Amino acid sequence: MNTQRWYHRIGVHAFLMVMVVWSVLPFAWAFQNSIKFVKDVRLNSVWGYDPTGIAYNGFWFKDDDINMWRPLFVVLGFAAVAAVLGQVGKRAGKHSKYFYGAVVAVLAFGVWLFPRLFETSRSYEYFVNSLVVTVLTVVISISIGLLAGYGLARYTGISGAVILIVALGFRALPRSAFVLPYFFTANRLGILDSRLVLVMALVAVNQPFTIWMLRSFFMDVPKTLEEAAMIDGASRFQAFRKVIIPIMWPGIIATSLFTLLLAYNEFLFVRVLAVTNYTLPVGISAATAAEGPQIFNEIPAASVSITLPIIIVIILFQKHLVKGLGAGAVKG
Amino acid sequence: MKRRTFWGFATPSVMVMTVLMLFPLATTVYLSFFRVLPRNRYSLSACEDLGGSCYVGWKNYVDVFNDEEFWTALWFTLRFVAVTVPIQTVFGLGVALILDRVGRGRGIYMAALLTPFIVTPVVGGLLVKDLFARTGFISKVLQWGTSDPEASFLLTNGNVNWIIFLQSIWHVMPFAMISLFAGLQSLPDERMEAAAIDGAGFWRTLFHIKIPHLRSIFLFIIMVSLMDAYRVYDSVFIFATERFADSRSLQMYTIEVATDFGRVGRGNALSVITVLGVFVILLPFLYVSYRDQIAERT
Repeated sequence: MNTQRWYHRIGVHAFLMVMVVWSVLPFAWAFQNSIKFVKDVRLNSVWGYDPTGIAYNGFWFKDDDINMWRPLFVVLGFAAVAAVLGQVGKRAGKHSKYFYGAVVAVLAFGVWLFPRLFETSRSYEYFVNSLVVTVLTVVISISIGLLAGYGLARYTGISGAVILIVALGFRALPRSAFVLPYFFTANRLGILDSRLVLVMALVAVNQPFTIWMLRSFFMDVPKTLEEAAMIDGASRFQAFRKVIIPIMWPGIIATSLFTLLLAYNEFLFVRVLAVTNYTLPVGISAATAAEGPQIFNEIPAASVSITLPIIIVIILFQKHLVKGLGAGAVKG
Repeated sequence: MKRRTFWGFATPSVMVMTVLMLFPLATTVYLSFFRVLPRNRYSLSACEDLGGSCYVGWKNYVDVFNDEEFWTALWFTLRFVAVTVPIQTVFGLGVALILDRVGRGRGIYMAALLTPFIVTPVVGGLLVKDLFARTGFISKVLQWGTSDPEASFLLTNGNVNWIIFLQSIWHVMPFAMISLFAGLQSLPDERMEAAAIDGAGFWRTLFHIKIPHLRSIFLFIIMVSLMDAYRVYDSVFIFATERFADSRSLQMYTIEVATDFGRVGRGNALSVITVLGVFVILLPFLYVSYRDQIAERT
């Protein structure tokens, strides 16, 4: 607003700066601890320490003295290729889906190749578990959520309202209400400690939120669009797939982001249902229980490593996240 | 849309929720009335093969209510909800109002302010705990302030609760902020201009125009944060080690009892009580949503 006085503007920025510090300080502190030797963490020196990658080495690799530049270059190399492909894909118009496919392929190849180049520790397995569980949860839960969300947005009968309210009630339930039956059933079926059971559990607890949010996005899509397609002879499902889904991408991305956060951050289910095959959050909490001085810098290093992927994803899709929160909230 | 078509679309999701939520929930309720005997760590056995009676009626519930630790955990959880939910909502509103006034650099501020919200709660807990440790930033400030190189912020039974609350506010405030900010953005300019012409000051615009406009968003945020605060687990788990056993949340205590294989039945009773508790808290909000849904359809 141009009508503001200059001291107002300075005040606003000063306040927001303080808020930025409040938000980012714990990350910054963990980062500078993660690149120190244990003795420097103990001395609590802020300046004049030797930066080192030893903490990351300890968390990610079996071998104690790998040259940390090599894995870093490999990771950055794959990231750069993926970024270039993604940028090209953005401008490629109708061929862009091939480029996005290539980005996924490059990243998957990198994840596959990495443990073959370096001797990774168990943390890498946890990372792969996190990745697989997150991706599968997002894909499955969005697919069935889209169908239900569309149905609920267009159907005006009373059973729709009942489903929505029951789903809202389910959204409120604590994990403990489900986790024991999951545990014993999974054990009987022999799928305890597998990624499958985690995906099933996460898809289930995520469903209420997914259908509410996707429904609110579908409510914004005018009915006339699919009616026109149906007059032209398309079936309801064809109209949904060919006409509605292509304009729903912002909503799909926003909902996927929330699902991704939920699956990637999940702790309780993993702690109970995974006996040894942890995902990263449980992996890091297990690492804190370890004895020995290395926890002083390895825990910060682990914290930074686990946060980084998610920060990258959010930076790439920040607009959608903000829009999604707005949409979910404004329409309830 | 016809009824049949609707069910065609909704069935997969409804199936998932029935099989993976409704059935487990029913099992939990059912088991809470039984003495559950684990044969080994990983399988429950019907108690018939081991002799003795299975059905114990309300005994598990009575045990829970006679359990000192249950009341401690409940008291902690209620305090947690009562402190964090109002503070993070009002705090979020404040930041959203300021963010609404800034022109340049809003994207950068927003990205920075969102980071606590996206961080894994377990990691968030560790990061905040680290700040208060002997080698942490807060202790560092204390050492400068008191010029005592050994000064440190001690975690004691008294203040660990406040650090847990602080961590939660740090973690959840951006959610309230962004939602309210999106709401403020959708406020039509004419109404603000009209208010300005009428000579309404900051507080009057806030209470008579902005807050009424944000009503449904407040409802949504408070409902979601109540749900999440009531079942908090991850971040409390980081702090509530044996030393701070009094700072266990209800959810944490439930899982502790339920995975302790001698007390599975009682753990289920605890789960049921937790579930009933959340509905008592949410009842008014669920009722309002239900009324809105019905109103939409008639």
